[in-house]
Amino acid sequence: MTKKLIHKTSKTYLLLTTILLVITAPAFYFLIQNLYLEDIDEALELRKNEFMQFTVNQLKENDISVWNKYNRNIKILENQSIKNDIYFYKNYYDSLSNEDEPYRELNAPFFIESKPYTLSVRANMVESEDLIISIFIIYTFLLSFLLLGLFFINKRLSAKLWKPFYQTLEQIERFEIDKTNQLQLPKTNIVEFNRLNQSIEKLIEKNTSIYRNQREFVENAAHELQTPLAVFQAKIDTLIQRSDVSEEQSVILGSLNESVSRLNRLNKNLLLLSKIENENYNEKQTIVLNEIIEKQLGFFNEQAYSKGIRLKTELSKQLFIQSNQTLAEILISNLFMNAIKHNIKNGQVWIKLTENSIVFSNTGIPQSLNKEKLFNRFSKANPSEQGNGLGLAIVNKIAEISHWPVSYSFTENIHSFTVNF
Amino acid sequence: MKILLIEDEKELAESIIGYLTGNNFVCEWANSLHSAIDKISSYEYDCILLDLMLPDGYGFEILKELKQQNKTEGVIIISAKETLETRIEGFNLGADDYLTKPFHLSELLVRIQALIRRKNFNGNNILSYNEIEIDILSKTVKVKNTKLEITKKEFELLLFLIGNKNKVLSKSAIAEHLSGDMADMLDNHDFVYAHIKNLKNKLRDAGGSDYIKTVYGLGYKWQND
Repeated sequence: MTKKLIHKTSKTYLLLTTILLVITAPAFYFLIQNLYLEDIDEALELRKNEFMQFTVNQLKENDISVWNKYNRNIKILENQSIKNDIYFYKNYYDSLSNEDEPYRELNAPFFIESKPYTLSVRANMVESEDLIISIFIIYTFLLSFLLLGLFFINKRLSAKLWKPFYQTLEQIERFEIDKTNQLQLPKTNIVEFNRLNQSIEKLIEKNTSIYRNQREFVENAAHELQTPLAVFQAKIDTLIQRSDVSEEQSVILGSLNESVSRLNRLNKNLLLLSKIENENYNEKQTIVLNEIIEKQLGFFNEQAYSKGIRLKTELSKQLFIQSNQTLAEILISNLFMNAIKHNIKNGQVWIKLTENSIVFSNTGIPQSLNKEKLFNRFSKANPSEQGNGLGLAIVNKIAEISHWPVSYSFTENIHSFTVNF
Repeated sequence: MKILLIEDEKELAESIIGYLTGNNFVCEWANSLHSAIDKISSYEYDCILLDLMLPDGYGFEILKELKQQNKTEGVIIISAKETLETRIEGFNLGADDYLTKPFHLSELLVRIQALIRRKNFNGNNILSYNEIEIDILSKTVKVKNTKLEITKKEFELLLFLIGNKNKVLSKSAIAEHLSGDMADMLDNHDFVYAHIKNLKNKLRDAGGSDYIKTVYGLGYKWQND
C-alpha cells in the first residue's frame, strides 16, 4: 500500500512516542519508588542508630511505658526474638485520618539493663505515595507534551521541507513531451532537491530534443522523398506512353503505378501527421460538422459503391464544434475511409450525429480489434491490407490535440468509432 | 504555345518536357533562378511552370520579377512544399495555380491548358474535337449538335481525356484528377471504370465515335483512329 511520505515519518514517530511512554512511565514509577524506599529505610536506620547511641544507655525498665507514651514513631516493644534488623510494611490505624495507613517499619533487637527488647522505628508512607504519584504524573505530562510538540514541529517542518519536492512532482505530472510548455521547477536552498531538479531538467531537455529530432526526421524524410517520388511518377507516366509496350509489360507498369500512388499517399499522410503534431493548424472557428459530412458524402458514396458497400447517415442533429476547418475535414474523411476500407463485400456503414458526438459504425471482420494498438501508426489488423495504417493514427492525433475523446467498440459484429466533442 | 519550365531536377524536367512536347507545346527549361530571370526578360511565354526550391534562390523571386516587369504570364507553381502559407503567399504574389509534387504529367497538362484558356479567353469558351463541342463555362457537351445529359464527373473526365488526347492515362491519374482535394483518401480506383463506361455510352448513344480506348493493364486513352 502506498502512502504519503509524511504519513510514513509521522507514523514511525507516533509509534516511537507511544512505545517510549508505555515503557518508560512504569519504569520511572518503580525507579522513583525504590529510590524513595531506600531513602526511608536510611532515615529509619539513622533514627535507630541515634536511639542506640544516645538514648538506650539512659533508659531504665521503668521508663519504657513513658517512652512509649510520648513517642509515636519510635516505640520499645517486648522482645520479638529477632536476631538482626528487619524492614517491613505494616498498616496501622490512624486515629487522625480515621483509617489504616501504610507504614515502613524497622525492628531491631536491643537490651535495656541486660533484658532483651525490640525497637520499632516506623515512617508513614502515605505522603511518599502521594509524592511519587505526583512526580509520576508530572513526568508523564511533560514527556507527552514534549513528544507531541516534537511531533507537530516535525510534521510542519517536513511539510515545509518537502514542499519543493511536491512542486517538482506536480510539474512533472503536468509535463507532456509533445507540447511546447516549459517545465518551471521551483528554486530551493536544499542541495538534494536542487540536484533532483537539475537532473530532471537535464533528462527532459534531452528527451525533448530527441523527440524533436525524431519528429523532424519523419517530416524531413517524408519531404525529401517527394522529389524522387515525383521523378518516379513522371517516369512511369512517360513509360506508359510508349507504343511498343507489350501486354505483359503493361500489367507490370500498371501495378508499379498503383504502388507509386500508394507510396504518394503514405508519404502525404506522414507529412500530414507531422504537420498536425507541429501544430500547423491552430486557427479555430465554429464549424457545422453536418456540412463537412455532406460535402464528403458524394466522394465516399462513390468509393463505397464500387465495393458494394452502402452508407447510411443519420444527420438530423446539427453539431457545432470549435475546431480548425482543415483538421475537422481530415478527421471526418479518415473516419469515412476507415469505415469503407476495413469493410466486407456488400457491407454497411452508419454515420450518426448526436448533439455532442459522431459515431462511424461499419461491418467488418467478425472480431474485435486490438484496442491498445488500434490508434498506433502502422498498426494493421491484417498485414496484407492495402491501407497505409495511418488513418486512425491521424484521427487519434487530431482528437488528442483538440481534446476530443475517441473510443472504439465492437458489438454484434459491428465496429464503432465514436468521437465526443 | 510556349512554356518555360523552371525546375532544377533534371530527370523530372526531362519527363515534363517529353510529355508536353507532343501536345502542341514548345518547352524551354531553366534550371536556376538566374537563367530563368534571363529567359523571362527576353521572351514571352504562355505559361511558366515554377519550382520553388532552386539552387540559387527561392522561386517566389520569379513572381516578383514578373510583377516588376509588368508581365502577365500565367504561372503554375510545382513544388514539394505543401503548406497553406506557401500556397497563399504564392497566390498573393500572382501565381495562378499550385500543384504539389509528386503529380501526374497528365494532371499538369490539363492544368496548363485550363490556365491558358483562362488567360487567352476571348469570348470563346468552346472546345471542339471533331463532332464533339464542349462549352467550358456552362459545362455542357454537344455531339453533332445534340446536347448530352452529362454529370459533373463525366464532364471533368471528358475534358481530362481530350486534354490528354493520344496519351495513355493510368487509372490512378484519372481517379486522382476526379477526386480533386479528396485524392489522398482514395481507397481504390475501381470507380473510374463506371465513369468511363457511362461516358462512352453517352457519347456513342449521341452518335459520336468511340474515341475512348482501353489500354490493357494500364488505363485508358483518347484516340482517333
